This record gives sequence, C-alpha cells and structure tokens, in this order.
Amino acid sequence: MELILIQILNGLQYGLLIFLAASGLTLVFGILGIINLSHGSFYMLGAYLALTLTSYTGDIFLALLIGIPLAFAFGALVEWLFIRHLYDRDHLQQVLLTFALILIFNDLQRIIWGTYPHSVPVPSYLDASVQLSDVLSYPVYRLAVAGFCIFLALCMVYIIQYTRIGQMIRAGESNREMVEVLGIDSRWLFRFVFAAGVSLAAAAGAIAAPIESVYPGIGEPILIISFVVVVIGGIGSVKGAFFGSLLIGLADAFGKVFLPEFASVVVYALMAAVLIVSPGGLFGRA
Amino acid sequence: MLNRPRPLVLVVLALLLVAGLLVPVFGGTYAVKLTTRIIIFAIFVLSLDLLIGITGLVSFGHAAFFGLGAYALYFVSSDAEPSNALIAFPAGMLLAGFAALAIGAVSVLTRGFYFIMVTLAFAQMMFSLFFDTDIAGGSDGAYIYIKPVVSLAGFTLLDLEDRNVFFYLCLALLVAVYVVLLALTRSPFGRVLQGIRWNEGRLSALGFNTYVYKLMSFVIAGAFGGLAGVLYATIDGFVAPELFNWHQSGIAIMMVVLGGVGTLFGPILGTLSFSLVEEILKTESYVGPIAANWSLALGVLLIAAVLGAPRGIAGWLEGKRAAAPAETAPPLPVARRTRERHTGTGKTIETEGLSRAFGGLIAVDDVTLQLAPNKVHGIIGPNGAGKTTLINLLSGALRATSGTIKLDGDDITGLPQHAVARRGLGRSYQRTNIILPFTTRENCLIAAQARHPEALRFSTRRYAKEEEAQAAYALDAVGLSARADTMASHLSHGEQRQLEIAMLMASGAKLLILDEPLGGMGPEETGRVTALLRDLSADHTVILVEHDMDAIFAVADTLTVLVEGRLLAHGSPQDIRRDPAVRQAYLGRFGESEVVAS
Repeated sequence: MELILIQILNGLQYGLLIFLAASGLTLVFGILGIINLSHGSFYMLGAYLALTLTSYTGDIFLALLIGIPLAFAFGALVEWLFIRHLYDRDHLQQVLLTFALILIFNDLQRIIWGTYPHSVPVPSYLDASVQLSDVLSYPVYRLAVAGFCIFLALCMVYIIQYTRIGQMIRAGESNREMVEVLGIDSRWLFRFVFAAGVSLAAAAGAIAAPIESVYPGIGEPILIISFVVVVIGGIGSVKGAFFGSLLIGLADAFGKVFLPEFASVVVYALMAAVLIVSPGGLFGRA
Repeated sequence: MLNRPRPLVLVVLALLLVAGLLVPVFGGTYAVKLTTRIIIFAIFVLSLDLLIGITGLVSFGHAAFFGLGAYALYFVSSDAEPSNALIAFPAGMLLAGFAALAIGAVSVLTRGFYFIMVTLAFAQMMFSLFFDTDIAGGSDGAYIYIKPVVSLAGFTLLDLEDRNVFFYLCLALLVAVYVVLLALTRSPFGRVLQGIRWNEGRLSALGFNTYVYKLMSFVIAGAFGGLAGVLYATIDGFVAPELFNWHQSGIAIMMVVLGGVGTLFGPILGTLSFSLVEEILKTESYVGPIAANWSLALGVLLIAAVLGAPRGIAGWLEGKRAAAPAETAPPLPVARRTRERHTGTGKTIETEGLSRAFGGLIAVDDVTLQLAPNKVHGIIGPNGAGKTTLINLLSGALRATSGTIKLDGDDITGLPQHAVARRGLGRSYQRTNIILPFTTRENCLIAAQARHPEALRFSTRRYAKEEEAQAAYALDAVGLSARADTMASHLSHGEQRQLEIAMLMASGAKLLILDEPLGGMGPEETGRVTALLRDLSADHTVILVEHDMDAIFAVADTLTVLVEGRLLAHGSPQDIRRDPAVRQAYLGRFGESEVVAS
C-alpha cells in the first residue's frame, strides 16, 4: 500500500516536471508552428545554470530567481538569431536547424562545464524526509519540486486566462492565423512565447538538478518524453500537455515497479494506444 | 515526377564510382574502412529519401531499422562458425521490415509534426528495449566474433573478413539499392508515392488507399535501412543500443537534405560530403584547434547550408528549375465534340434523408434526391446553402450524421473517400486540386492508374499502353494535348481546371461531381467546358455545383435548389425558373434579371 502511495507521489512529481518542459514545447508548436528539437537543450541549460548559480548563491531557489530571467533572455536571443528564420519554412528545415542547434549547444556545454557529472545540493532546510509509515519515508525536496511546478503551472493559467498576452496566446492556440488577423505584431508575441518556453524548460531542469545529477545530454530523455506528451495531449494544447504529463508520469512510475525491464515501453505503448483511438491527441484540434 | 538523372549527374556518379573502385588500390586500411562506412551510411540515407523525399513522410526514427538490421546479424551469428551472408543480410531486412510494418501501421495514421514525433518516439522505444532488457548483452552490447561469409551450396564465395572484398560488396549493394529505388520511384507504385507527397487528398479522391501506399513505402525504406544496419554490424563486429540513437536519425535527415530531397542521387552525395566534412573537422592537422570542437563547427556549417541552399547539392547539379513559359501561350484547339465511342452508362445516385450537422449547425438537412444516369444535374443555392457539404457527403469526404446514400442501388453510406472513388465516383474541387509538380500528362496517367489501384504495381509495362491512351484521350477532349509535357504548376488557372476534368475522365469515373468547374474562366473557355460537359453526359452522370447561372441553366437537365441545407425544389430548368418559391427564396434576391435574360 505504501509502495503504491510512493509510486503515485513519484509519478505525479515526475509528471509535473515533464509538464513544465512539455507545455513550453506545445506552445511553441501551436503558436509559432515550429518543431523545436533543441527544447531538451534548454532543460540542460537550466540544470547547468542551477549548478553554477547554486555554487555562488548557495541556494537552489536563489539560483532559480536569477536563472529563469537569464534563460528567458537566452531564449529571446536564440529566437532572434535562428528560430525566426524558420516561420515560413517547411517541417524538414525546422527539424534540421533545431537539430544543428543541439550539436552546437552540446559542444558549448562541454566547453563551458566539461563532461563530468556534478551534483547540486538540496537546500539544508528541505533536506529531510516525511515519515509515511514505520518503514517508508518520502524526501521533502521532492514534495517541494511538485509544489514549485504547481506554482508555475498556476502562474501559467493566470497569464493565459487573465492577461492581454494570454489572450493572444489563446487566440493562437485555437487558430494560428487568428493572431495575424487580430492585428497583433506577431514578432513580439512569437519571441515572448519562445522565450517563455525556454524558461519553463530551464526551470524544470534547474529544480530537478538536486534530484538527479547534472550531466551532458541530460535534456534529451526529457525532449523525447515531452514529444510523447505532446502527441498524447494534442499539439498546441496546454491542457492536453498537463493531463498527458501526469498520465506519462504515473505510467512510468508504475511501469518501473511492475514491469521493470519494460518501463519505457509502457510509455510508448500508451502513446500508440492514444494514436489509434484519436490520431490528433486527446485534446488536439479536430 | 522524378526523371532519370541528367547526363551531368550520371557523369558525377560515374566518376565517384570509379574513385570508389580505386580506394582499396591506393588507400590504406583507414581509408578503406572509412569509405566502407560512408557507403553503408549512403545506403541508409538513400532508403530514408524514399520516405522523406519521395513519399513526403519526414521520419525521425529511421535509426530503429538500422539498429534492428545490425542486431539481426548478432541473432543469426554463432561463436563457432561464420554465418552465411545470404541468410544474414535478408534476415536483417526482414526483421527491420517487420518492425517497420508494426511501427508504420500506427505512425502512418498521423501527419506532419505528429509523424515526426511519433517515429522518433518509436525509435527511442527500440533503444530502451535493447538498453533496459538483457537481449544481446543489454546496455553493454554484444560482440559478433566471426564475420559472415557469402557461401552457396557449401562453397565459400566471398569471405567478408577480407576488408577489400567487403568494401566491393558494399559498393555493389549501394549501386544496386540506388537502381532499385530509382526504378521503384519511376514505377506506377512510385508515381503514387510522389503524388501522395504533393497532394494526398487528390490521390485519395481518385481512389487510391493512401494509407496502404504510405505503409508500403515505410516498410520498403525500413527493410533497406535494415540492410545498411547488417552491413554496419559486419564491419564493427559489435552491436550496442547506441545504434538506435536518435542522433543517427537526425544526421541521416541532414544528409538527405544536404544532398537534395527526393532526388535519390542527392542523398548519396550528401552522405559523402557530410562525412568528409566531419572527418576533416575532426582532424587536428587540417583544422587545428577547431578539431576539439568539431561538432560545434559542424552545427554552424549545417545551419548555413540549410538557410543558404535549401535544395542541397542536387540543386546545383540540376540547375534552375525550368522557368515558367511566357504568358502568351498559343491558342488551344477546341475540344472535340465527336467522341469515337460511348462506353457504358453513368451511375445513379440516390440519397434518403441525408443530414450533416457541424455542432449545432445543420449544414445539410434531410435531403432526399434521386439523380438519374446520363444527365447533367445542377445544384444551386445561395452561399452557405450546403452545396459543398452535400457533395462532400456524396463523395465520402465527410460522414453523414444520418441518412443513406446509394450508388447504383448499393449503399455507400460511411465508406471512406477512396472506396467511394473506386466505385466510379470522381470529383473536382472548388480550389483546383491537381498535382502541381507533375506534368499535365503525368497527372492524367496517375488518374488512369486509379482504374487498377493495386498497391504493389512495380511493372511499368502492364496497362501502360491502355493508360497512355486514356490520358491522351482525356487531354484531347479538354483541349490540353499541346500542353501534355508542361508542368501543371505552369498552366493558366483555366487550364488547371480543365486538367482536373481531364483527370476525372482518365480515371474512368462514371459519376462526376464538379464543384464550380467554370470558376475564373473566360467566356471562350466556359463555352468549351460546358460543351464538354454536355458531351460527357452521353455516358456519364454529371453533378455540377456552379455560380454561373447562365451556364448552369443552359447545360443542366435537372436543377436542385438548396436553401439553408434543405431541398427547396428539384426539377427541369424550366420548372425551376417558374417556381415561385425559388424565385422568392433565391433568385429574387440575387439574380432575377439573369434568369429572365436567359
């Protein structure tokens, strides 16, 4: 029973983390019409920013406070340098350019931070465990990660539902052409959405850094799992990304316990099942 | 459509082949091994071009088949004696082909972004499968200690342990795969694949089951990808989950695009140049300190190539695409009204209580119609009356919410579009729907091919004469014979609309549904097309949606008036003209003078 409870907690915590990465990806798909393979690199960027900034500030949350704006600025720069040239080009060229960016980012990471894995300390005030029963306990930091993700998710809901920029995002979410019809200067909206997507991925990478060690290529599994989430949830749908992430998080957590060798296959089988039932994803546009 | 390579391309390929043959003569061990790898990768990349460039399916999971091919060699090898390449190589193709069938069956349901992500995810699933389980050594990989031999009836013909022998075998296989894929692409089967890349909807409306074609293409590409995988495992004598790494798939796509998408020879050149550039960037004696950061440099070069030369190396070799012809085209012959033979009769179509709702909006509301064969039936009504929805229902492009549709008495309600088309129903669209990068004749040939749309027709000869004749006849009938070898994208708007009618004629459809065929035509063209429609009605049933009231009243035998989704009136043009309800609801508002004038 405790085991199941722990797996539910693990699954939800992992799912919420994926949601941060996947929601950025799905917004960039839905509004910019771009398939961004380098999204995993931004998760990696977040993890390494956490490493460096925590070593200066001594606290992961202070690191996040500085790191997220940095990631936002970096995202805006990448959009201006590369991504904006892709809006009128076909999928194939988008795939190529963003794949080339991965090669570049991986090498830059190696030049700046080297190839050894590092660990990021859990802040001392969260370095404890909650006793679930006589034998099982759950680390407080993981609960804090879940809480942080929920906080960011609520911030997203607020921005999307109640602000002017959110209104534009909603217009773009349901119909990409709509943004232009509304007379919005799409250049700034696109730059904002891309940079926001980068920040979300970086935030996920940073907050997760104390749980897993920080190593080269840390973002790639997240990229692929985010793709699975976007396929399940439907391209462009933040709501779909949310439920897809939790579904995948739980499937992964329980797969690891009940089918240890085939845990990752469970996740892909789930995706195949969704595609057969509803090829546009659960919350996709018709 | 893909043509045979131009002489310049053939010369380049021949020079490369000669250079390749000489590598083992002049090069050392390293050069031979490197070139063998490049050749094997070229086979892999070539197979990917069948998907990306020919069929238009951007697969990001091709490494799955490469990896499975490689593992197949491990599965058939033993530690005691060499395996037979004549078994091992087909085994790699089979294993990869079956996996492609399973993965493709799901992936091909999706399009665009989804297809890219889904194929990537499935390749990653194969990676996890071999990484997490202990099949073939799990994450550590496994060695193949003895290289295969080519032996027949107990005699060893080729020992692949010999580096040079293996090199020449790989080179021969590359040439063979190129020739096979080129022939496949130019066969009737390949014609459909190329049609799907440019206009899948049209192919489906002609009666091709595009799902099956795309899946076949996926399986063939997967099998050849598997062949590359077996060869790769043969050089290294080692298999590991890294073979499935998605970076392999990404690099293969790079090579396809760098070389030239959809040209088949381009990807070979792309693989060669990419590999050589990578090799140079990695070598410190050539590039100095850059060698330490070669992947950064490669990434920058690739971005420059993608943004600067989107058509790749093939783009330079093939030169500029043929320029559009001058605006002043010679006058076209008037369509022949005398048809040599009238074959068969048109089809009868009936609907019973047909309705279609979009959410709360009922676009077609309880329409019961009976349209007799060998007549021109006009459907008119104001904008938003449900005309296009009605013909989408008839042709199977949309599913009815309720009611039935019968074609010659057979219930066709709910059949998919391609199945309806195979029963002899052809349609044209409000927005011209042809295959723009094909010539006028090729458009008609693919339509004629729809009469026998078996998914696996590789033979060029079978039916070829028949199809040529049907295409020529249709082009002649619409007056486009002089334009037979013009790219459809270079035709004028009116000519494109006529080409669409010619395609329907060539396809052998007996019930033609035409959505505003006269839209955008001048008076002379309108006269020619209406004459053609009258002529066609001798052995076809024609359903016509049209806004040109003069034309439709002149050409139609019966008229059906739709208003707000409901059937308002049905009868001969004279009856409709006199019908007071029609006058009030429709004509009175829009064009009484037009009607009176006619």
